[in-house]
Amino acid sequence: MKTALALLLLLIFAPMTLAFSTEIVVIVHPKNPISKMPGEQVAQFFLGKSANLGPIDQRDGSELRIEFYQKLTGKETAQVKAIWSKIVFNGKGLPPAEYASSAEVKKAVAANPLTIGYIEKSALDDSVKAVLTVP
Amino acid sequence: MLKKFCSALLFCLIRVATAQAQDHIDSGPGIVIKGFGTAAFTMTDTNQAEFVRSYQAAGATTRASHGVDSNFGIQAIAKFNDWFSMTGQGLVRKTSTDRYTAELALAFFRMKTSDDFTLRIGRMGLPAYLISDFRHVGFASNMMRPPNEVYRQVPADTFDGADLVFQHSYGATTLTAQLARGHSEVRFGDRTGLEFKPVTALNLIVENGPLTVRLGHTEVRFSLLDTGLPSLQGALRANGFSAVADQLAYADVKGTFTGLGLGLDWNSFVVQAEYAVRKLHTRAVTDSTSWYAMLGYRYGKFTPYYYHGSTMQDSIRDFAGMPGSGPLAGLSAAANAAIKGAQFSNNAIGLRWDFNKSAAFKLQVDRVTPVDGTGGVHKAKPGFTGPLTVVAAGIDFIF
Repeated sequence: MKTALALLLLLIFAPMTLAFSTEIVVIVHPKNPISKMPGEQVAQFFLGKSANLGPIDQRDGSELRIEFYQKLTGKETAQVKAIWSKIVFNGKGLPPAEYASSAEVKKAVAANPLTIGYIEKSALDDSVKAVLTVP
Repeated sequence: MLKKFCSALLFCLIRVATAQAQDHIDSGPGIVIKGFGTAAFTMTDTNQAEFVRSYQAAGATTRASHGVDSNFGIQAIAKFNDWFSMTGQGLVRKTSTDRYTAELALAFFRMKTSDDFTLRIGRMGLPAYLISDFRHVGFASNMMRPPNEVYRQVPADTFDGADLVFQHSYGATTLTAQLARGHSEVRFGDRTGLEFKPVTALNLIVENGPLTVRLGHTEVRFSLLDTGLPSLQGALRANGFSAVADQLAYADVKGTFTGLGLGLDWNSFVVQAEYAVRKLHTRAVTDSTSWYAMLGYRYGKFTPYYYHGSTMQDSIRDFAGMPGSGPLAGLSAAANAAIKGAQFSNNAIGLRWDFNKSAAFKLQVDRVTPVDGTGGVHKAKPGFTGPLTVVAAGIDFIF
């Protein structure tokens, strides 16, 4: 009886906890030859260690952006900004492009084969290709 | 020549800026304006000397000074396409005069010639150290200022010339190799100057996850400008000390600076350390070994840290066989003073508080202990031997 009650409560409340965490997909241009990319490699683009693909960010301060960097790199926003400021202010690299919504991020990635971005999994369509899912 | 180049660069930047100003870079042409700054107050516990950063004319005493650690920088990046961009950076700070002055800290064309190679031409940061490229950007570092022990060993921040950067990722490891060549000129508060003509630097950086290791080697042919060395040499030769005079060469002298740097950002532990050796083919600028280590720990938005650094002279501090008394005692004293470099060690503790995603508060307390001398402070009064305590507090921001 107690087990049944516990299971029932779990079933009711579990979806609520899951709702606070968004599944994120890392996207590239459909013609990009890469079909799968490990997390460490994606992190290299978003922390400025590789510039072969131009990283595209969501809006500064958005929940999705904070969650993406936390999940992918374990870093807080201030740390990520400090890392980018090292690269930008010595002229070693260009700051990531930034768009206000996932729709705009998709458009930007679809328009340029040399970019990489991230959106909610629910926003994924066939204008872009997913190379990694960040749970 | 450089003035014309910079005017042309500025003109181009303005043209692109008027076309379309944005706060991010699209795939197409556009210009981005970014900036950084530090607003900090610095004070010490003594009026017998002034605490300064590299080649500043005036420093901190018991009266709090905002000129030692404050600065403001603004950068314009014009991207024309996926492989060509231009960058210009203006920096305002106090250096060789006790007034805030603006300087062109960066001004270059950047061309990504292939996936792995980037070529830059113009004015760039002199890559002599682990954090030389962004030493002015307080927000990028945990400490209040780049450690004086190591960062005052090469007083030039920028060079005019070209550099080639190779960067490739091998799995989770990124290798960056940078070869730079050009020339540099610096003017100090006492109107003397230093010229690197040429300067050549090779940097190798290996990054893997939380660890960064850097090995750098810089070679220069340098000249000291407008110093009292020509007349000191003349006086020494006139009094039969030609051998001593020959050791005070100041024009077109060969020098090297080699450094090993390490950075670790792992599981809330933050470590940064550098070890550097400076060797010069003259006694007029001293050979030195300098190093520091910083250990910090991130508690959420707070990063307290402890730091220890030291700089010691490797070359001789006295000429043997020069008279200590008699009519030439003054000449001896002048020659010996010319070959003494600053030696000091420093223990510091500090705290960084990331109260905002684009701004951080910093507090740092340094205890600087001179060794056999005045320890690199400015305008030391006779009899000053230190140690001194330096307290600095301020806010670093980027936009």
